[in-house]
Amino acid sequence: MPAEELLLPRSAQEAIGLLSRHGPELLVLAGGTIAMGLVNDGAIFPAQAMSLHRAGMDGMRLLDGRLEIGPTTTLDRVANDGLPLLAGAAREVGGWAVRNRATIGGNLFAAPPYGDVATALLALDATVVIGGPDGSRTVLLEHFYRGHLEYDLGEAELVTGLTVPLPAGETAFIKYGRRQAAAPSVVAVAVRVAWDAGGAVAEARIALGAAGPHPLRAHGAEAALAGGPLDAESIAAAARAAMEDCDPPGDALASAWYRRKMVGVFVRRALERLGGVA
Amino acid sequence: MTPIAVSFTLNGRPAMAATKPLTSARTLLREQLSVTSVKAGCGQGGCGSCTILVNGEPTLSCLLPAALLDGCEVTTLEGIGTPANLHPLQEAFYDSFAAQCGYCTSGMILAAKALLDRRPHPSREEIVAALSGNLCRCTGYLPIMEAVEAAAEKMAQAGAGTGQ
Repeated sequence: MPAEELLLPRSAQEAIGLLSRHGPELLVLAGGTIAMGLVNDGAIFPAQAMSLHRAGMDGMRLLDGRLEIGPTTTLDRVANDGLPLLAGAAREVGGWAVRNRATIGGNLFAAPPYGDVATALLALDATVVIGGPDGSRTVLLEHFYRGHLEYDLGEAELVTGLTVPLPAGETAFIKYGRRQAAAPSVVAVAVRVAWDAGGAVAEARIALGAAGPHPLRAHGAEAALAGGPLDAESIAAAARAAMEDCDPPGDALASAWYRRKMVGVFVRRALERLGGVA
Repeated sequence: MTPIAVSFTLNGRPAMAATKPLTSARTLLREQLSVTSVKAGCGQGGCGSCTILVNGEPTLSCLLPAALLDGCEVTTLEGIGTPANLHPLQEAFYDSFAAQCGYCTSGMILAAKALLDRRPHPSREEIVAALSGNLCRCTGYLPIMEAVEAAAEKMAQAGAGTGQ
């Protein structure tokens, strides 16, 4: 059965109102690059849909040491103007035409093996701003994920923003796909390391995509780096720990076994890219 | 269900159609307006064969609800050249044997046009990046990249010739 209605709110507030009125059955399209594929496939039959295309929820701005990103900012814009780690991840998503429509907010909801930009956002300690009928709240992106396609998001709530503190230290992103472009991930790795005055690792973030039910942080691997120098030994320890931290899916691209191996390989390679490696 | 009226500019001319909420722009263009250069491929954003230009931006028409075309300027292959007066990209694709089965060709040429509109002298790397979302299972891509380079050169010469 074709959809009955396509709602086109003109603001985030109006979108939240429509969501409250229509309930969780309302299909929300940011860029539509995930949802329309499901519709075309006949995988979902939404009675009603809402596009955020005209809701004015896009744009990026620097404010008080943080980057505020509207959820419908396209990945093409992020690839051109985002922080280096975000831009690097966004460039790896789809082809040009996909990036012209796909949004950074929508990428939070891309099930593995997709979600490269969300992986980069995790390494940057991004916060999700969530709007609802009773106002706005924030949650760390890491806590936004509750399980496979499960989020800390109420039925009448909508992601209305992303906040990224300007990162300390150095970052690197590596995506490993079956081909060099427009490919879902075998694994994606985003890392950020900041050093203290003595050259020891003060802060480490290691985020993994396509390595669990949702983009996730490898806490064991981060702990393996903290407090010491970033050298071959600590990198090897972090890579081993990341293989334990992850819980990769198996699919047509790669088995869970292979993905776990590649998590070890690409965590090592990503960390080796950082300039402060002893 | 109330049909949704959309009016937009299609290849420089006004177009109007009635569509349904989640009908794709690809379906509207192909099946209602008979714009058959827009190819129906994977329907998932993976192949690029349905690429059109919306306000000059390469866009996958299979992933775009047709209702969102309203007020936009849409360019398809039909809008950039005619059999008697081919666009330099079309000519170069012909000369370089850059089309075999032809199914990817419309999307390839439109993505390449969008690139050349922004970067009249793209590097091989930029061409690869711009076309990486368009799959071709026949040519091996090399003739396609050579065609884009040849078209860029031809367009630069034509531009120089007319003093532009």
